[in-house]
Amino acid sequence: MDATFINVMKDAAGVPFYPVVFQGLYVLTWALHAAFVLLALGSMGLSIYGSTQQKSDPYWKILTPHLIMTGKISVSVLIVLGVAPLLFTQVIYDSGWYVANTLSGAWVFIFIYALVIGYMMYYWYQYANKKGSSGNTLIGIISFAILVFCGVLMHNFAVEAISPTKWMDWYAPNGVVDNAGWNMHLDLLRLGFMVSLMIPVTGIFMQNYSRFLSTREDFEPKYLEFVKNIGTKMAVIGLLISAALFAVWMLKENLLLHPLSLATVVSVVILLVLAMRNKNSYVTTGMLVIVALFISGIRELIRYNIMSGIGYDLYGYPMNLEWETIIMFLLTFVVLGFTGIAFILTMAWKVGKTKGVYTATEGSAVSRLANASLTLFILWIVVYFGWGMVALFKNTL
Amino acid sequence: MDLLGFYPLFYVPEIGSAWLMGITGAIHIMASHTSVGAALLFAFLAHKAQKENRTDLYDYMKRYGMFLLIFSYVIGSITGPGIWYTATAASPRGISALIHNFVWVWATEWVFFVYEVLGVFALIYFIDKVDRKTHLKLTYTFAIASVGTLALIIGIISFMMWPGTEAYYATGSASDAFFGTNTFPHMFLRIGFMIMMSGIIGMIISSAMRKENKELSEELTQKMGWVSLLGGFVTVFFFMWYIDTLPANAHALLGMAKDSIILNRIILAILFSIYFLIAIAKPQWVTRTLAITMMFIIGIVGVWPGEKLRETMRKPWVAGQYVYSNQIIGRDVPGKEIKDETPLLAEKGLLKLNPWIPDRLRTITPENKLEVGKLLTRIACSNCHSLEKEGLYRPLMPLAGPMGEDGIRDYMKNVIGTGSSPYMPTIALPDEEYDAMAAYIASQAK
Ligand code: HEM
Repeated sequence: MDATFINVMKDAAGVPFYPVVFQGLYVLTWALHAAFVLLALGSMGLSIYGSTQQKSDPYWKILTPHLIMTGKISVSVLIVLGVAPLLFTQVIYDSGWYVANTLSGAWVFIFIYALVIGYMMYYWYQYANKKGSSGNTLIGIISFAILVFCGVLMHNFAVEAISPTKWMDWYAPNGVVDNAGWNMHLDLLRLGFMVSLMIPVTGIFMQNYSRFLSTREDFEPKYLEFVKNIGTKMAVIGLLISAALFAVWMLKENLLLHPLSLATVVSVVILLVLAMRNKNSYVTTGMLVIVALFISGIRELIRYNIMSGIGYDLYGYPMNLEWETIIMFLLTFVVLGFTGIAFILTMAWKVGKTKGVYTATEGSAVSRLANASLTLFILWIVVYFGWGMVALFKNTL
Repeated sequence: MDLLGFYPLFYVPEIGSAWLMGITGAIHIMASHTSVGAALLFAFLAHKAQKENRTDLYDYMKRYGMFLLIFSYVIGSITGPGIWYTATAASPRGISALIHNFVWVWATEWVFFVYEVLGVFALIYFIDKVDRKTHLKLTYTFAIASVGTLALIIGIISFMMWPGTEAYYATGSASDAFFGTNTFPHMFLRIGFMIMMSGIIGMIISSAMRKENKELSEELTQKMGWVSLLGGFVTVFFFMWYIDTLPANAHALLGMAKDSIILNRIILAILFSIYFLIAIAKPQWVTRTLAITMMFIIGIVGVWPGEKLRETMRKPWVAGQYVYSNQIIGRDVPGKEIKDETPLLAEKGLLKLNPWIPDRLRTITPENKLEVGKLLTRIACSNCHSLEKEGLYRPLMPLAGPMGEDGIRDYMKNVIGTGSSPYMPTIALPDEEYDAMAAYIASQAK
């Protein structure tokens, strides 16, 4: 398939800002999506094991519901975080994304309802586990399997989107068009590597869990030690597995010696040492974020190479610069977003550290963040209506 | 070689890919509107609970919140991207047009989403873990954030109907596209519906509390009756304004279906007014079964036909009155340097210009004529018509079949090809492509 073909599918409206900015935002937000995908799958998987142990083991009895809750919140967060890369990918790589979606239209529809059912079953799993009913493990396993299947479908779309030379064969094998949308094409090595990361991510989460709760007198130190040890074991073993898969994957992609891939290897080694020594798991988590960004960067590098290799001119995407809405986004994101999220997270931190009710006294960080958020939200709505009215009057009067 | 930026076609027999979208859309509307309505309701209840020291109201909020988590934050937050995904499969260039005009608006909405998702967990799980005042502030911000998501999406879905003024075509500016004449009436129509939904769902929760606390249960059912009545009134009021701000093609289509729509809306309005008045006057009559039944009725008899109507009224366009339902760009947008594709198609045809035609079908021969006709019909017509005889989605064969092969060809050439139908796209093609399509349709309609 030649270059004219793929460049012609760029949207007629052009992009409203520099493509490289979308590319950067894509890498950043996909890393966030992936982090919560991995935490969700990992904590859920481990909780299933926990649900078989909790009857006889008092520690697993405390840990299992906490893991289930972690998984539950993470699924919501991964969904909302997935929206951002979904947006940015189709701004600059619209051709790939839309071809993948039409080639696999039936799977697209199934993806949504599988996710609805899988996630609803997850709530059921939590409920069954709380009630101590006997089927809980089975429900958990089914829910887990469905959510993993959703990941496989996501992977399918990602693989199709970066296989432009095969599109026509997939759409019209032997020249006979197939519109049914049942294409499914996997790259098991890539998928295996991505999914394997759920083990170390969950391990490092458990190190954090243990560290965070160590200041709470209602948690037994021995219990926290127990959690920490599992976490360290998972982090170390998981990282070794992922590292091996990564090396093979990079070898296959011919990227093993690329600087970005080497940087990833180095940062994984540092991560391994940090996780093994577990002096300060928050620092380890910082390193994990860097690794996640590198991996997200490599995914983008692979895609960029393939697409530009067949003549796709990403940075030459026609541009109609659009200032008003980008200013709205930046201000909302940086000012309101950061303040608001800081408010909720600081409050959550304080609540987690407090036994009983947490009271935000006048002048405390939580109270000030709450007031600031409220003010900013009100201001935002006022600006919105003001802007809307000015635009409307300008265009109708 | 000239090519136009089409995509592969995803075709769903019998019901059409648009119905897949409609199903997801209807479910999403129920869940998302409840979620915004409930956020407003929570702000009201938390305010009241704080001011009058009514701790029992927190109990209700907690139960409501648990329901909301599943109903709105599982179903709603998945079907949201779900509409987007299915719309992508059904109408990639339509979605692409929206994305490329409004990416920063969507990105802004995403900030609100993140706040909402973290906020809802905090709101529900911290009810007895954080002091009341801080919780109240959280509730307020949560309500504004929820309304903010509506405020941001509404301009985009209004633009799908039309930009509202001519300004956008000249400037190409997202702000002109977003704030059309249709945007605010549409917004308040939905806010009304959201408030009503929050009351309808609220009655499910309050009626389920009867066993533990009869008095509170009835008091809340009564309150929810008032809330729903208020929401219903706002909805009906703004519906009229909304209809007034629709473009001419929508009115043409609306006219065709007017009587049945008006009848449906009047029956619904009466039925639900009675229901809300019962809740107010005789709250003990509202059982959980009744409350759940009424929720389904509003979904199946209210939202689903409403969605189908909105889809119909948009015809022949799918986005901004410049992208046709069948993915062809049908007018110039100088502000974005977008060119009308219909003249080129009339000259060269889909077989030459669509990149996704297999080479062996690019030239029509007696052997492949029917196969080409089938492919072209799918590409040009299936976004709005089932091609199966018994299909459910405006089936084409019963409509076109009686005209016979020559009649079909003439109709396509003289009516559809010239853009004379108010609700069908201009599909101007070279004669041999019309021939192939007419032959195929006639062969299927037999
Ligand atoms: C349980 C649910 C989900 C799981 C397990 C999951 C998992 C994954 C995985 C494994 C990938 C990487 C695929 C690859 O690179 O080979 C991925 C990519 C992605 N996911 Fe998800 N995901 C889920 C839900 C979602 C949702 C709901 C959205 C959107 C709202 C989303 C948006 C994305 C996007 C945009 C990508 C990048 C695709 C690309 O670059 O081509 N995901 N996801």
